[in-house]
Amino acid sequence: MTTLNIQNLGQIKEASLTFGDLTVLVGPQATGKSIALQLLKLMVDAGQVQAELGRYGLDWSGKLPEFLDVYFGEGMRSIWRPGESKVEWEGKAVDLPQLAARRRKSSEESLFFIPAQRVLALRDGWPRPFTDYTPGDPFAVREFSESLRVLVEQEFRGSGDLFPQERRLKKEFRDLLRRHVFSNFRLKVDKFHSQKRLVLGTGQNSEVLPYMVWSAGQREFVPLLLGFYWLMPPTKVATRGNIKWVVLEEMEMGLHPRAISVVLLLVFELVARGYRVCLSTHSPQVLDAVWALKHLRENHAGAKALLNIFEASNSPPMQRLATAVMEKTVKVHYFNRETGITTDISALDPSAEGQAEAGWGGLSEFSSRANEAVARAVTKSEREAQS
Amino acid sequence: MTFKEAVAQTPNLGTGWQPGLQALRAEDKPHVQPEEPRRLRGSADIDTALRLREPNANRWDFAIGYQHTNCNDEFIYWVETHTGSDDQIKVVLKKLVWLKNWLRGDGRHLARFKGDITWVSSGHTLFTKGSSQVKTLAQQGLIYSGKILRIPNERTKP
Repeated sequence: MTTLNIQNLGQIKEASLTFGDLTVLVGPQATGKSIALQLLKLMVDAGQVQAELGRYGLDWSGKLPEFLDVYFGEGMRSIWRPGESKVEWEGKAVDLPQLAARRRKSSEESLFFIPAQRVLALRDGWPRPFTDYTPGDPFAVREFSESLRVLVEQEFRGSGDLFPQERRLKKEFRDLLRRHVFSNFRLKVDKFHSQKRLVLGTGQNSEVLPYMVWSAGQREFVPLLLGFYWLMPPTKVATRGNIKWVVLEEMEMGLHPRAISVVLLLVFELVARGYRVCLSTHSPQVLDAVWALKHLRENHAGAKALLNIFEASNSPPMQRLATAVMEKTVKVHYFNRETGITTDISALDPSAEGQAEAGWGGLSEFSSRANEAVARAVTKSEREAQS
Repeated sequence: MTFKEAVAQTPNLGTGWQPGLQALRAEDKPHVQPEEPRRLRGSADIDTALRLREPNANRWDFAIGYQHTNCNDEFIYWVETHTGSDDQIKVVLKKLVWLKNWLRGDGRHLARFKGDITWVSSGHTLFTKGSSQVKTLAQQGLIYSGKILRIPNERTKP
């Protein structure tokens, strides 16, 4: 399995990350999950990152602090502590100062990064180009935004519906998205004066809803949908270009649990297509799905059992998806704020002695405390009624 | 009245008091971890003590006395060690009903103490402490502790 070991980088004191076909990172805010995922991108795509930065006129003068500010975002030079910070990728030490000093050979992108700040990728309903951001904005945000711009301008050139789109996503996914995200709305390209923009419309009349009146969930979901379109081209090829890895940060943002369920199934579709997917999440629902996947596999359950969780149709394409996913490896890592050390909690065993694993990296802590509070109140009330 | 005295006055449980966690079966002891063992006020094996008198009842397992730092009175942890699986929820709830009835009768001296009623998983568990199954238990006054009951020095008050 692929490994990334990190020592003393930002909030991370020691992270030992093993990647499966699907990898999930959990932990409180600001524990280094995003740093780890952006570092993964850098390990996989150093040449492509440097080439992209160079193409848009960004110059870090071969110095690591400047490079960190340009790549991770302004002020992020402080995450690297000379003499203390160490990175090891696939068992080999990585000299980050040297990586910044020497331009790597440009290569095709291997990791597609969907950042948590994806809502910034659309301005007034149209994807922003790379150069629309300030040099201090994180590379992952700028590059994602640029990919969406290319997608919308090149692959959806004419006016028309972006959703539903017969050539994009399986019919089963379109049905689920219609049911749980878009309702009767269609996502389409529209022109306001001469400016193209994405709008929502019912299709029955000419009334359209521009970006600013979309719900928070719709604003979060549309960039995500376009990201999935990018990764699932309308051809017989399962994956796009040379992309092998996908990072998706906080897929649950702004979404109702039913919508999260559809996005999770789309993530499984990516895994089934052969992408190695890494998620960071604060949603217990994601771990519910991973936990179920593990136990369904161990108990030799069929594809239908997995599809039932998502209320998905048991059609042959979805069966193939579920069967493929059941064979994939899944890893879960917990980022501990107090210690700065990561723990492998892939077993997700509620009876584990370690609280990190039993409490699923803190994602079930609140419910647990709520349950205990109610139980104690019931006992107290019964006791008082008795005396 | 102390926990030890209350056990002594309880019918059929009179001689059941043991110091520390000694009333617990050897395999159950690792599931209970007091922050400060010297604050333990003893334990009683209810299940064994009442086996002859109520052989077919869904008897509760143990009572453990503890002196918290923020309480004047001793506190009782009513502990049932049981496999943590869905199919056992009904069994444990029957034990809970038995315990509540017993506390209204023979166990009334012990009912005077404040306490937590806790299910400690003795084996593999398939639900988390935050799950809906545990909510069902909570509504009946039962706390699901997972594999380990950690007894803190300072008690959480409802």
